[in-house]
Amino acid sequence: MTSAIVFPGMGPCDFADVAKFMLIDRDARELLATASDALDYDLFARYRDSDSDYSEYAQVAFLVNCVALARWAERTMDLRPDLIAGPSFGGKAAAVFSGALDFAEAVRMTARLSRIETEYFTAEQRGVVTMSFVRTPAERLREILAELDEAGEWYEISCYVDTDFWMVTLHEGRTDWLAQRLRAGGGLPLYVMDPPLHAAAFGPLRDRVEAELFGSLRFTDPQIPVVADQDGTVRTTADGVRTMLLDGIVTPVRWPEVVATFQRSGVQTVHVCGPDRLWGRVGATVRNFRTTIVDPRRAMRPIRRTVAA
Amino acid sequence: MWDQRFEAILRQHLPFLDPEETLLAGTSLRDSGLDSLAMVELLATLESEYDVRFVDEAMSMETFATPQTLWSVLTDMRGVPAPV
Repeated sequence: MTSAIVFPGMGPCDFADVAKFMLIDRDARELLATASDALDYDLFARYRDSDSDYSEYAQVAFLVNCVALARWAERTMDLRPDLIAGPSFGGKAAAVFSGALDFAEAVRMTARLSRIETEYFTAEQRGVVTMSFVRTPAERLREILAELDEAGEWYEISCYVDTDFWMVTLHEGRTDWLAQRLRAGGGLPLYVMDPPLHAAAFGPLRDRVEAELFGSLRFTDPQIPVVADQDGTVRTTADGVRTMLLDGIVTPVRWPEVVATFQRSGVQTVHVCGPDRLWGRVGATVRNFRTTIVDPRRAMRPIRRTVAA
Repeated sequence: MWDQRFEAILRQHLPFLDPEETLLAGTSLRDSGLDSLAMVELLATLESEYDVRFVDEAMSMETFATPQTLWSVLTDMRGVPAPV
């Protein structure tokens, strides 16, 4: 049976929900130690003391947990995926688990990228955020965006999650207006993400990341093909995976394209490996595939043993 | 107080609330496991069961704070006076 692993994009994740897994699971412990060595600090302690959902420490910890959970699934569920995808932040874990990028390099990349992004959005793109919302059909979204066009306001669609689920990047001062317009049509605003994600306007950030960071990273051809979150194309080369990660800075995530590629490839089961609250539950995923959530809660569930009579 | 149908629907979306545990007017729905996507599913079920449409201020996060806040908004939308 054809199956795929999906590494989720990053969302707010309570330390308490993952801490036990990080301390007990053997792969998580090993990866945590490797990450701490690569960063030259105690990742677990920094993550515990971090007060931001998207701090450098939270980001690296999310990467650690995603890769550890996929290894847990390999070990306990004999999971052998035919394809891998990683929407948004999940692309980093996809690069690692596919074999395209060494884990320690991915850890250093994640930490350095977080610092570069913080500098960029503080100095060059202040006041820009990404808002996610649901229950808004495409036609209704077009009407709302036309109002922004009329007002001469800049915006970009950063993520096509499902037929009625989107993320839009815009100026912070417009978020209250957007939320009100969405609610008027029965839409539900979910989160406002700061720093923002996936917009063509962030071209200078992409250039800087490529020049300062990606030049020193060594990618290899993946052993498991990776489906790019931007367009659903299947990446089988080192350059393909590298470009996928870089392009993610400036191009929107198109999850329905990934779903379409899975369907064409005969994928029947999708295993979402990570502390996920979105990608494994959104309609586009669960309508089309048998979906298994491999999260810390599942990995920590006691194994039922049968006692011989 | 809400009707049994409301409580039955709500409980289906509260994975952290023990079936034996009483659902109180002030129970935190978020602490009981109602996250964003569960909220979306709950909305769709309530709209279908009670023939209403959540829009405008009814779509704010405050609506989904507790069983009481949600029932109050639902009652207002149906035009039924809430029991005192």
